[in-house]
Amino acid sequence: MSLPAGEAHPALSNTYRWSMPANWWTRKRHYFFYMLREFTALPLALWLLWFLVEIKRAGDGPASYAPHSSALFVVFSAVCLAFALYHSITFLSLAGVIIHVKFLNRPVPSRLIVLSQFGLWAAASIVIGFVLIWFGR
Amino acid sequence: MAKRITIQATRFDPEKDTKPRLQSYDIPFSDDSMVVLDALNYIKAHVDGTLSYRWSCRMGICGSCGMMVNGTPKLTCNAFLRDYWPQPVVVQPLNNFPIVRDLVIDMEDFLDKLKSVKPWIVRKQEIPLGAGEHLQTTSQIDDFKQFSQCINCMLCYAACPVYGLNNEFLGPAAIALARRYNLDSRDQGLKDRLPVIAEAEGVWECSFVGECSVVCPKGVDPAKAIQQTKLDTTMRFVLPYGNRE
Amino acid sequence: MSAPAVHAPRPALAHLFWWFMFAQGGVIAAVLIPVHVLVQGILGPLGWVSVVDRHYDTWINLLGNPIVKLYLLVLIAVPFFHFAHRLRYLLVDLGVPAAKSTPAQAIFYGGAVVVTLITIWVLLTTAPLKLG
Repeated sequence: MSLPAGEAHPALSNTYRWSMPANWWTRKRHYFFYMLREFTALPLALWLLWFLVEIKRAGDGPASYAPHSSALFVVFSAVCLAFALYHSITFLSLAGVIIHVKFLNRPVPSRLIVLSQFGLWAAASIVIGFVLIWFGR
Repeated sequence: MAKRITIQATRFDPEKDTKPRLQSYDIPFSDDSMVVLDALNYIKAHVDGTLSYRWSCRMGICGSCGMMVNGTPKLTCNAFLRDYWPQPVVVQPLNNFPIVRDLVIDMEDFLDKLKSVKPWIVRKQEIPLGAGEHLQTTSQIDDFKQFSQCINCMLCYAACPVYGLNNEFLGPAAIALARRYNLDSRDQGLKDRLPVIAEAEGVWECSFVGECSVVCPKGVDPAKAIQQTKLDTTMRFVLPYGNRE
Repeated sequence: MSAPAVHAPRPALAHLFWWFMFAQGGVIAAVLIPVHVLVQGILGPLGWVSVVDRHYDTWINLLGNPIVKLYLLVLIAVPFFHFAHRLRYLLVDLGVPAAKSTPAQAIFYGGAVVVTLITIWVLLTTAPLKLG
């Protein structure tokens, strides 16, 4: 017999309906770090929007172009970097869980997959970092 | 001097109470191998026969005795008192389910969800009896073996905040078992299960908290099953010729 | 007792698509963003290294390159589909079930689309395209 979700069995009267406490994510370390991981989206979005603004301002001409240099901006970037690193580490580690491939009919161990993701991150960072600095000399 | 331990168990009488409360029991902790289930059985036998709870095999295979122990979903037959003593042990019914009485929860929702994913071998065409049994290599069994270890104990549902916030979510065990059958080489039912798995309240609701896999007593890793299902389902629709039966 | 009306389940292609975009955006964000934040946000402003976006002529030259424009489009716009999905579900987790509604989806994913369009406009109007 199929019941609408959430409905108690008709033979049971007066079951106590449980509800999630609003602060559920403060009650366990793992839940808290999960929420932190989700939250990283916000600082990263803000930093990328800053970058977009800087690109636009470059188009307005050399006279008005002054990329941010203030201590406040460096602090903002440092905070964003911390969140960005946390996002990268958690996201790329979890890629090892989700990607399942077979090589020569045997499953590739997830550690290898995670290693390849981090390798990709390292390679991309080196190339881009090089480009950003090389063209600035 | 004999050791003693305090068990604080949820009491809820649907005919008398409006909400659950905790009742304290002070019992002898006579043997270091005692588990929370032993404590509950002692209470029921010697202290308070009205305490209600589910249990059966007492060895971690039937999945009946799941409860919250100090805020973590556990099989009470697998939760050793020595790990909590001398602090009191708080035993409550599994989170995220309606409470029927004391430590007993209403599991109809889970059973409905389980049934909806058709957790059995689905064949479009049965092989004739004369052809003998289905043959499987060890490698084919390894493809789904981990997900077949599920004992339907519902600890994962108690741990999942998505299910707690939204009872419509299909949930970890149901999705893991759907994957178990989808990956089984004998099964031909993926298309039958797809609408349930891929609907709005199916895999997409999962935000990969991962607590389900942390609490699973059998190492099923339902979080992995769900994420892989998301990827496989997406590839079915994204790749024109990929991954179709 | 009559069976209650049960809706027939069907694949939610919209959810599938947004999840797919979330996954793509997540990879881009994870692999590309940190080095930009480090070099352009910390090392450059502190003067510890010389960064291209602080040398106007070279920077404008680079911004004119179509490959650079494409890279910047991917870097900036695609992660916003990741952010939109994550922030929408963050609201759900914080106990705002309205975040699951269709209007909420329109706001969040629509927002990512808007950011994409603005990024395309900025990249096309800043520093003329230099081909060859």
